[in-house]
Order: sequence, then structure tokens, then C-alpha cells
Amino acid sequence: MSRALATLVTALADDELVLGHRHSEWTGYAPHIEEDVAFSSIAQDEVGHAAALYALAGKILGDEPDHLAFGRQADEYRNALLCERPNGDWAYTLARHWVYDTADDVRLESMEGSSNEELAALTTKMRREERYHLIHAEMWLKRIARGPIEGRNKLIHALEEVLLDSSGLFEPLPEEDTALTEGWVTASSQELAARFLARTNAWLDEVGIPIGPHSIAGERAEFVASSSGDLIEEAGPSLDEAHTSKGGGGRSGRHSPDFTELWDVMTKTYREHPGARW
Amino acid sequence: MVTTRSHLKTDAVWDALAGVLDPEIPAVSVVDMGMILGVEVTDDEVTVTVLPTFTGCPAIPIIKSDVTAAVRSVAGVDKVRVETTFSPPWTPERITADGRRKLKDFGLAPPTGEGPVLIAQIGLPMSARCPFCGGSDTHLENAFGPTPCRSLYYCDTCRNPFEQFKTV
Repeated sequence: MSRALATLVTALADDELVLGHRHSEWTGYAPHIEEDVAFSSIAQDEVGHAAALYALAGKILGDEPDHLAFGRQADEYRNALLCERPNGDWAYTLARHWVYDTADDVRLESMEGSSNEELAALTTKMRREERYHLIHAEMWLKRIARGPIEGRNKLIHALEEVLLDSSGLFEPLPEEDTALTEGWVTASSQELAARFLARTNAWLDEVGIPIGPHSIAGERAEFVASSSGDLIEEAGPSLDEAHTSKGGGGRSGRHSPDFTELWDVMTKTYREHPGARW
Repeated sequence: MVTTRSHLKTDAVWDALAGVLDPEIPAVSVVDMGMILGVEVTDDEVTVTVLPTFTGCPAIPIIKSDVTAAVRSVAGVDKVRVETTFSPPWTPERITADGRRKLKDFGLAPPTGEGPVLIAQIGLPMSARCPFCGGSDTHLENAFGPTPCRSLYYCDTCRNPFEQFKTV
């Protein structure tokens, strides 16, 4: 089988592993005991999904799942930058949780019909479990959106930041054409990004959170003088441009300094004790 | 005659599997939980296909090794192969009626619904029948619990916290 398929599966696994690692950093520190349990459990799900995906990639490459997870150099990881950003505050954590799990649902849905039977079966199974994550994230966003103004403002600020990074999740892999031709994925990254935007915009409108990529573009419209001296509104960056201003590079291994630190912690045991079993 | 012998061996393998308990819920067997997709017996090898209830279930390696040991103990079995697959996905309706009863007796509420329900369609079960008093005046405390497969509830009738096997 093909190396391009392994790359596709590894990128998906890297997202799950790296964000799972970030979620696990709340273990023992979350602002609420039930959320400590929730984030620890979500982290375990994500790392479990990563393990199953690495096993699939490993089968194609003739490599060990543990080696793929922990034995690569930092610039060999294909995760989106959004997944490696530090947890920040609770608002950022929840905003990213919701954005990631919405994007993940869109992406997994498109893989349930994959021509690769193992990938189709695994993503179908994963999506059933991920629904719990999405429901959890939506519940929190609704709660904060309808709560006191301070929390609401923090959430809106965090969503703005996370949404700007979100395009990195839909950054096409170099092998995307092959993936589409072979039918491993049933929709292009561009198509998935469009579905994601439609879904997030509709949902934010529904819960009354006045933000979304459309409003980000709208706010950036500038007024400039026309040749006749009238002020005319010049469109701000298009929805796509505004949306892709940050967060790219991860799919080709270009990461932020935050990742170097995360990678160092995440792979330390594996590097210091090669071949250890427990 | 070979066919009869292999049928007998298949039955004996299923009997052995009925004795392999779920390491996290030692009241039910892997058969009760519907985790055995199939058993294939040839002259020199037995292949058991296991459906993990959860992708990231940390008990999978233990289950695989327990299944291997149990099948190897069947008379006439030399080689055992245990495979896992996600196709079809394990869903709650695979739990047998006996399994649901054993879960309840163990203090773990069985998943909501009898069929392959999706929580995207039914929503998160905000209450579940209390396995201790049978009451339905209960509420969800946390969709997540101590293992990937469980949610936490509280019974407002008998005032006991309890867990439910997730509806995946």
C-alpha cells in the first residue's frame, strides 16, 4: 500500500495525539472536579484514537505505532498548529475543544466512506465516540454564551483567536490529489473547510455568539477614498483570506516554538528509555 | 468427520470464551458484551475476532491475552490467533440480554436504548435507570467517567451515585 495513505492517516493521528496531550495537561488542574474527569477522559479517547491510527499507518509503513507516536523528530509531525497551542485559560481551552471537535466531525464524516476499508471502519467507530466530545463542548459554549458578560467576552475573544487558527486543520497535505483519486477521502480539504465554516457560523448564530469568520472579515472592511473623493467601503480580506492568516504549516512539519516544548515532554520517556515496555 | 470435529472444537472455544471476563467489568464475559465477532477453526489454528467496545480501551491487550490463554486451554488447540477489528463497529445492542442483566447487578446501568442508537439523534441521555433501586428520577453528573466507556449519574431516589455504560 501507499506511503501517501500513511501520511494521511499519520496527520490525523498527530492531531489527535497532540491535542490529547494538551487536554491531559488539565488532569489535576481543571477548574472543576467533573471537568478534570472529563478532560482526562477526552484526552484518553484522543490518544486511543491516535494509537489505532498509528497502528494502521504502521501496518502500511512496516513501523511500530509507538515509534510513530514518540520516535519522530519534531518537524516530522503533521499536526495542525491549533492542536499544539498551549491550553491558555479555560475560555481558550473550551473554544479550541469546540472548534477542533466540530472540524473533526466534518473530517471523520468524509472518511466514513473511504475506499480504504480499515480507515472507513476506524473513522466510523471514532466518530461515534467523538460525539460525546462535541456534545460536551457545545454544552459549555452554550452555558458561557448565556452567562455573565465577563465569561462571555473571554469566550468571544478566545473563539476569534481559535477560528483564525482553524484553517490549519484543513491545510491540504501534499498528497491530497492522490488521496482524492484513490478515494481514501471523499472530499477535498477546501470542501471540508467550507462545510466547517457553514456549520460553525450557523451554530454560533443559533446560540447568539456574535462572531464567526464572516464577521471577522466584515469587521476588517476599510473605508478608502475613491477617485471622486467619496469614501467607499473596500471589502476586507475575503472569508478565506481572513481565515487563513494564521495556523498553517503544520501539515508540512513547520511548527511553533510551543510544539518544541510539547514534543520534548511528550517524547522524553521514549527517547530516554528506548524499547521500554510497561 | 473432520467437520464434526471442527464443530465440536468451535463449541468448546465458545464455551472457553464465555469464561473470559471483561477486565474492567469482571461481572460480564466478552461473549456477554458481544465482543466476539467470530471464531474460525481450522485443523491447526483457531482465529478469534474481537470487537473492542472503545477504540482507546486500555483493556484491549489484556483481553487479547486472556482470550488467547482461554482458547489455548481447549483440548486439541495448538495455535491461537486473536485479531481485533472495528468493522462492524461494536454497538450497545451487541450486549446480550443476560449481559445487560449482569451489568445492572454489578451496579452499572446498561446503555440507553436497545438498538444501535446514536447520541447525535437521541441526545445525551440526561437520565438513566438506577441499577440499585430501579428508579428513573436520576440525573447526569458527567458524560465522562473513570473509564472511556462510562458516564456518571446520580439517583435522586436512593441517593446513590452510579455509572452507565456509554451509548456509543
